[in-house]
Formats: sequence, structure tokens, C-alpha cells
Amino acid sequence: MGAGLRLAQTAKLLLGVWMAGIVVAMFLVIPPYVGLGDAGRIIVMHVPTAWVTTVAFALSAFYSARYLWKRRAADDSGAVAAAEVGFLFCALATITGALFANIVWGTFWNWDPRETSILVLLLIYAAYFALRSALDDVERRRRLSAAYNLFAAVTMPFLLFVAPRLADSTLHPNCAFIQGSTCDGVWLETKGVRIGQLGDVVLALQGLEQRGDVAVAYVEVRTPGLQNVALLEPTFELASGKPADRPEFPGQQFLLAVEAVDLANGRALLNIEAPGTGLLSNSRTFWTFMAANLGFLGLFIWLYRLRADVLVLQERLARREVVHELPA
Amino acid sequence: MNFLLDPAIALYTALAVALSVWIGVFIFLWRVDSAARELRRRLDDESPARPAAAPRATLEVRGGRTQQPVSITEPKAE
Repeated sequence: MGAGLRLAQTAKLLLGVWMAGIVVAMFLVIPPYVGLGDAGRIIVMHVPTAWVTTVAFALSAFYSARYLWKRRAADDSGAVAAAEVGFLFCALATITGALFANIVWGTFWNWDPRETSILVLLLIYAAYFALRSALDDVERRRRLSAAYNLFAAVTMPFLLFVAPRLADSTLHPNCAFIQGSTCDGVWLETKGVRIGQLGDVVLALQGLEQRGDVAVAYVEVRTPGLQNVALLEPTFELASGKPADRPEFPGQQFLLAVEAVDLANGRALLNIEAPGTGLLSNSRTFWTFMAANLGFLGLFIWLYRLRADVLVLQERLARREVVHELPA
Repeated sequence: MNFLLDPAIALYTALAVALSVWIGVFIFLWRVDSAARELRRRLDDESPARPAAAPRATLEVRGGRTQQPVSITEPKAE
């Protein structure tokens, strides 16, 4: 066994132990969160798989571009392998996100902008694999799929990072859980635009009044399908300029807050918050999360290189069979 | 089996399941990795197949003076 191989084998063993440690830490080291309970632990699996998806699809595009430039079969194998493993991680991110959504939002799937965009991304890469399997001519398959892959990669940052933020609001924890990230909320007026939407919840501002040193907003909340309608009264501290009472949405673990008011014009900025805001502010959670990112990246590298190796071996075996079948 | 879902130990049940899944995935990957490496080694060790004969073309002038055929492709070295 050569030194390089021995090093690679040791790295794989270490990766196995590292990931086992992350699994243990996910359940035993990081604390549960008020309002979320144990559901918050899934961040250790969900976010790193989504990040690795980005890396995988970007690497796949790099190999495709290099294939179009140098026309080497190994680059095509690298592009396919990275795309396949990226697809796997993207599916894992979607599944773990749906599990989280079922606990926190009360449904596995509610067409949130984030859910919709990742589904579109999955379909785009499913089309990449369908395209490859539809073309029999090897050279044509490689060339066309490499060109398609470059277009697919262009959509990836838009679908993962831009599209979910273009929506007025999303229930995804990107804006509800991690402090410092932006979630603009919605301005409603008592004499103008009274009705707005946050995620899939419709809000109607019924009134706004000053009660002592707090402003009280009367907001009618309707959940999808009008299953629940409730009148909530979030308040806003005028002296400190911060939200005070945050009533809970009926049947859901989301809170409604007034983030700013303009009493003179009867306007209020309404936003949603989820219990557990600042999920990563706990140091144990943060370091477990960072270790998971590193571990999943290592796992991706192992998986995609292994898959690329298998693809190259398949091609060598096929070529060998063809040569052996030739007449002498 | 319901005791496994008891709130007091449900967390440990979930941990055991997740850890078992990871160990299973790791063993599977390790075996596939070993098999791929062994296959590559065998293909590398295998004596290369007899290469196909290189095509050989000759030009010959017909209907005129007789000339020696001219080879434009050297035979492939074996």
C-alpha cells in the first residue's frame, strides 16, 4: 500500500469517526430550544447538506466547462459524479426541511418560496440526467449535457439565494430564526393597504391605537384555506422602539410582532418571528454546526470521487469488451 | 416497542437510529471504494489487448506508366 493510498484510507476512517461524532453531538451536545424542542437539532443536518449542494453543482459546472474546452472523458465523468452527489444532497436538504416544516409549520409542504425554488432546482438537475440518458451517441451526449449543465448552474444561485429573498416574506428560518438576517415584513395601513401576506398567512390591519406608552395593532390573521381566523393584538414599545407582546398564530408556532409604527398615518410594520430566534448564537450549537459543514464537505468529496472512479471504470470495461469482440 | 418512543428515551432512540444509518452507509461506501480500487488494479495489471491494425493506404497510378505503390501510412508498430 502506497503512502498516498494509506493517507486516503486514514482520511476516510477519520471522516467516519468525525461524522459519527456529529450525530452524537446533534442529539446529546446541542441544547433544545424554547418553542422548537428537539426540532431545532435538524439544523446540523439540513443546512450543511444544502451548502454542499451548492458546492457540488458549482464543481459539476466547472468540470462541464473544462470538458467543453479540452474534451477529456474524465471531465465528463467528474461533472456527472458531482451533479449526482449534489442531487442526492439537495434531496436530503429538501427532506430534512420538510420534516422540520411539519413540526414547526404544521405541514410537510406549503409551497413556501424556499421550498418551491429548491424543488425547481431538483427538477432542473433531474432534466440533466434525463438528457444524458436520452442520447445514445457518447460524444453528443457529453457535449450537449455539458452545455446544459452550464445553464443549470447559472440558475442555481438564483434559485437558492435570490428567489427566496425576492418574496415579501418566507416562513423559512433564514429570516425568522437567525438574528441579523433580513426579513422585511409588511407595512399595513389603517387607511390604505390594509391587507398583506407573510408566507402563506394573510394579515389584515383592523386598527392601530396608542395605549399609554405602547402602540397596539389589531390584526386579523387567516391561515391557508381559511382554516383558522383570529384577531391578534401585538404591541410596540414607543419609548424603546422595540416590539413588546408577540401573540402566537393560531395552531402554529409563529409569533406576530410589530417592528415599527407610524401612528400619525396609521401604519404598522408587521413581521413574523419563530421561537428559537438566534439558533446559532449558542456556542455548542454553532461549533457542532460548523463541524457538520466540514464533515459533509468531506463526505461529498469522497462520494463524488468514488462515483467518478466508478464511471471511468465502467467506461474502461465497456471499451475492453468492444476490443475483445473485434475479429482478429 | 412503545417504550422506545417514551419522551424520556425517545432522543436516545433517535440517536441510535441515526448512528446505525451512518455506520451502515459508511460500511457500504468503504466496500464500494475497496471494490473499485481492486477493479482498477486488475484492469491496470491486465496485459493490454492486441492493438487493432492501423489502416494502411496506398496510392497507385493506373492507366499510365507503371509506378511503385506509395505508402502514405506507416504500419502501426506492434
